[in-house]
Amino acid sequence: MENLGYLLAVYTIVWLVIFGYVLVLIRGQKRLRREVEQLKDALKDKATK
Amino acid sequence: MVSKILLAVSAVLIIASLALIFVYVPTEKTMGVVQRIFYWHVPLAWNSFLAFFIVFISSIAYLWKRSPKWDILANASAEVGVVFTTLFLISGSVWAKPVWGVWWTWEPRLTTALVLWLVYIAYLLVRSYASSSERGARFAAVVGIVGFLDVPIVFLSITLWRTQHPSPVIFTGGLVPAMLLTLIVSIFAFTALYGLLLVQRVAFRKDEADLKRMKRLVESD
Amino acid sequence: MTFWRKALAITWKDVLSEFRAREIITSVLVFTILVIVIFNFAFGETVDMVAVAPGMLWVTFTFAGVLSLNRSFILEKEGGCFEGLLVSPASREAIYTGKMLASFVFLLVIEVIALPIFAFLFNLAVLTPQIIVITLMATVGFVACGTLFSALATNTRARELVLPILFLPVVVPVIISAVNASAIALSGQSWGDMAGWLEILGAFDVVFLTVAYLVFEYIIEE
Repeated sequence: MENLGYLLAVYTIVWLVIFGYVLVLIRGQKRLRREVEQLKDALKDKATK
Repeated sequence: MVSKILLAVSAVLIIASLALIFVYVPTEKTMGVVQRIFYWHVPLAWNSFLAFFIVFISSIAYLWKRSPKWDILANASAEVGVVFTTLFLISGSVWAKPVWGVWWTWEPRLTTALVLWLVYIAYLLVRSYASSSERGARFAAVVGIVGFLDVPIVFLSITLWRTQHPSPVIFTGGLVPAMLLTLIVSIFAFTALYGLLLVQRVAFRKDEADLKRMKRLVESD
Repeated sequence: MTFWRKALAITWKDVLSEFRAREIITSVLVFTILVIVIFNFAFGETVDMVAVAPGMLWVTFTFAGVLSLNRSFILEKEGGCFEGLLVSPASREAIYTGKMLASFVFLLVIEVIALPIFAFLFNLAVLTPQIIVITLMATVGFVACGTLFSALATNTRARELVLPILFLPVVVPVIISAVNASAIALSGQSWGDMAGWLEILGAFDVVFLTVAYLVFEYIIEE
């Protein structure tokens, strides 16, 4: 079982990077959703004026 | 909807792939346990080529039709492609260390991957350096087309270069059926993952574009 | 045949204005000589010149190429001549061909002066027909690609940096082929030994001339 360290290192890195990428994507989407909500509110204000 | 399906499919396939890699597949004779990196290294490579091929096709479609959806697709695919290429390079390098004794070797496939990575990083940079987003889309489309056509020539030239100096072989010996199965499952796992990430990115960029348009409408009143 | 007349008119305009001002050629030439000299200091006395020369030669020419390509479009953009070109009756393809030929001429002039200097400083026989053919083919590859990318770069924010970022990875096959073919030429081997490299250079030139010619109009649409 030599070089097991390397094997584990690769799989860990691949997981972390993909997971990290997905997290960044999710955070971006949350921000976008927040902006959509703000915009909806702004439109509602305009409509009621 | 499509997202949920892709999420489920990729989750299942990735778990299957991991199970196969760590439990089912026999250890390869010459390289030992480290060889198992192969089962994710190769799918990452294949799927990044798929990603860049999609960039190529979308770039042509964008220059022809000028519909933003092609540009969004190309951009998203290039991003995921760069992520996969980065991982493919890192996994190749970490695999090389115990097997060949060095972190890097100017072996045709690794070197072409490095050039590939540089070309698509340039693709992403060109978008951000352009003075307007319409120009960015156009310029990136050109890079997407030229870059893709360049890569086979790069591979040819590096292969010719390296056959004149001996270089370490990826591995000798064929693939036992068990290995082939593991490899194929892993390839599909990463294709599903590529699809999932692509769909997510495309949806995000589309929403972003819609939002920008709506903001402009609201502000202009 | 008006296509060629227009393209060559553009080439002639660039070449003429360059020979009056001598901006590009002088500065790039001085740069080239400096790079050659610095390489000599970097490698020192103990290195085998024949082994290192091809690499040095082509790194030098690559950097000279980048500089020269950068200057030719940026000067034009700064002088406002670029918009003039676009308004003229020349087709986009003619503009590409004209500018490409002009850059080709500039690089050739630089190479014609640099090669003998190289031969002189390093006592190497670099003025053989083989090296000349290699240089010509590689230069075509550089300008085919470089004209396209430098037009792109001129229209971006980090102008001078964008060209190398795009150009260098794409032009890797030209550099590898030129270096290896030159090494074969310098060690006195025959044309047959370098056939593979010349084929790659030829393939690159054909592919990129065609693709850049077709795709150039999308860069300078305005």
